[in-house]
Amino acid sequence: MMNLLELKNVSKHFGGLQVVNDLSLSVAPGEILSLIGPNGAGKSTVLNLITGLYQPDEGDILLNGQSLLGREIHQITRLGIARTFQNLRLFLNMSVIENVMSAAYSRTHANLFEIILRTPSFRREEARIREMAQEKLAFFGERLKGYRLDQPAYSLSYANRRRLEIARAMMTEPKLLLLDEPAAGMNPNESLEVTELIGQLRDEAGLTIILIEHDMTVVGGISDRVIALDHGVKIAEGTFEQVATDENVVEAYLGRRQENK
Amino acid sequence: MSKDKIGKDEWVASYQQRSAGIVGWRGALAGISERLPTWAWFALVIAIGVAIPMLTSNTYIIRVAGNIALMATLAMGLNLVVGYAGLLDLGFVAFYGVGGYVYAYLSSDFSGVHLPTGLTLIIVIGIGLLFGLLLGLPSLRLVGDYLAIVTLGFGQIFVQLMTSMTRVNLPGHERPVNLTGGPNGIVNLDPFSILGFTANTVTDYYYVLLAVMVIILIVGFHLNNSRIGRAWRSLREDELAADAMGMPTRQLKLLAFALGAAIAGLSGALFAAWQGSVFPGNFDIALLINVYAIIVLGGLGSLPGVIVGSVLMIAIPEILRNVELAGQLFYLLIIVTLIATLRPRWQSVALLVSVIVFGLILKPILVALSPASFAALEATSSGFVDTIRNWLAIPIEAKAVGNLAFGALILMILLVTRIKDMRVRFIALIPTLYLLSFVWETRLSQEPSITRLLFVGVLLIVLMIYRPNGLLGERRVEVV
Repeated sequence: MMNLLELKNVSKHFGGLQVVNDLSLSVAPGEILSLIGPNGAGKSTVLNLITGLYQPDEGDILLNGQSLLGREIHQITRLGIARTFQNLRLFLNMSVIENVMSAAYSRTHANLFEIILRTPSFRREEARIREMAQEKLAFFGERLKGYRLDQPAYSLSYANRRRLEIARAMMTEPKLLLLDEPAAGMNPNESLEVTELIGQLRDEAGLTIILIEHDMTVVGGISDRVIALDHGVKIAEGTFEQVATDENVVEAYLGRRQENK
Repeated sequence: MSKDKIGKDEWVASYQQRSAGIVGWRGALAGISERLPTWAWFALVIAIGVAIPMLTSNTYIIRVAGNIALMATLAMGLNLVVGYAGLLDLGFVAFYGVGGYVYAYLSSDFSGVHLPTGLTLIIVIGIGLLFGLLLGLPSLRLVGDYLAIVTLGFGQIFVQLMTSMTRVNLPGHERPVNLTGGPNGIVNLDPFSILGFTANTVTDYYYVLLAVMVIILIVGFHLNNSRIGRAWRSLREDELAADAMGMPTRQLKLLAFALGAAIAGLSGALFAAWQGSVFPGNFDIALLINVYAIIVLGGLGSLPGVIVGSVLMIAIPEILRNVELAGQLFYLLIIVTLIATLRPRWQSVALLVSVIVFGLILKPILVALSPASFAALEATSSGFVDTIRNWLAIPIEAKAVGNLAFGALILMILLVTRIKDMRVRFIALIPTLYLLSFVWETRLSQEPSITRLLFVGVLLIVLMIYRPNGLLGERRVEVV
């Protein structure tokens, strides 16, 4: 089976700091891949490389066999990669529904004249994306429904903001969804819920998912495959159990065991 | 998944309660304004606009109203760039100037070209779009303050060019050519004339300006509630996130610049036709400040705010030209401010009575101390002004003492704001208010041209302190 996404020997450095070093990985369609590793291991940089925020120094990034290098961020999104941000980057002064609707930009076509004249085709399109946005928000149960749709995004709680960001990313109709610490700042119950949700995104929405997460219950609960990074180098790959017990991984997180002679 | 027992958000849960919490006439007003559909607001604006020339034949008032419509149109263009797309463009007025000068070239003896107005306007809009694109190019590389200073430079270059391009050596001409008319501008422009309708009177122009304002208002409203408007606002909120959500940020910025410039160009052309002439001084930095004040006052990104902002920014300085009216408004404003800010409410009444008594006692004492400094005041045309002037102890050297009092007033106001004890503040307010009316009668009302600026300045300062988001602006938060 052909890989949806493939990183080939990708390297990236900032000044003298090698953040990603000769990294190769691939994701099959429908797979949930988790990236783990200590802080500063280069996980977020990998996401930024995939989404075009950074250009790699070496190597190639392929989506369905098509190179993503040299493309602009919004073009890559258009090709079917969407993401959420580690530090939440919502459009805070826009309403909840507008946050989601705005992400349909690359999937809508109304031009200036249709908009100014409010032609029927524009109205149809507008109604369609509004309905679609509500559908995406309905993924999160009752939380982001009803009267909350017209509230500004800044009025949402932290967990709801994370949910809204996922809904917004889904609105771009991606094939591949990159989640950067979706469970950060959530309590154990909410983390559990996020785990279920990621499963639903794959099963119901048919997405392929790359997940960065520090919460190992989330990672262990949902990942098909786990890749551990340290100092920009892949130190382990396999199922969660394999990676979690890998010597290198344990060492990266906890340090080397003192040998008792 | 829908078991909503965890992660419940108190702020959101109590949202409706709190929003329903406004009571009294303000609550009723808020209720009405919420229930009114958008088209009703449009209808209201149009109805008021259309009615003005029917209610009065005073060309001065109609001229002011026309100016409001023109400034609102211009400000809506700027609102598109700054309010929606969040691009701080300080060269905006140059586009207004381009529109004015292009109209002047295409409909005057200066160039010998007399195109029909309809065609001229299409050309003006086209050139506006083009110039907007050109000036928008630096916006792709610059953000925030840097964009502001670069565009400010462009705005100044435009004025300089229009002033100085009077002797330009062109190929094919033996002598230098006067391209812009220099400081003397271009005069005797053709009147606005479209589809057999020619604007001759102030009222004609007023209706033209009103019609254009309404069209731009609708355009702005439709744009705002569309994929492009949402994308612009996303861009303003977080450019990187907008990009990552598939919005082509460069194109959107250029589009905002170009459309804003086209609207400015259109307003400039209307202005040129109305005035019948263009001068470089019409497009200087004072106008830029005025337009910015309009959108900031009304609330960035708010279309009704732009209308309210232009009404205030144009009407207030005009009202202040009339000394008596200005005086009445001034005192009314003081009383309203007192009632609005002092709690419990009886305090404001007590304060007013105290100030009046303070004045009544102070005057005989001052007159007894120095009889030579006071003389009977000349009666003015207004009984209201006379009453106040007689209540105040206005000396013969009113001007000099007034200047001193002005300084003292500023000190007193600073002092009052620093006092924490409510009783001491109440007592300190008595001489402050007395000084305030003293300064008004001796200095401010005597020099309306300065007072107008002062008044607008104070208005902006107070507004920015109490409502930093503008009168009708939405509440804004930065990164939380």
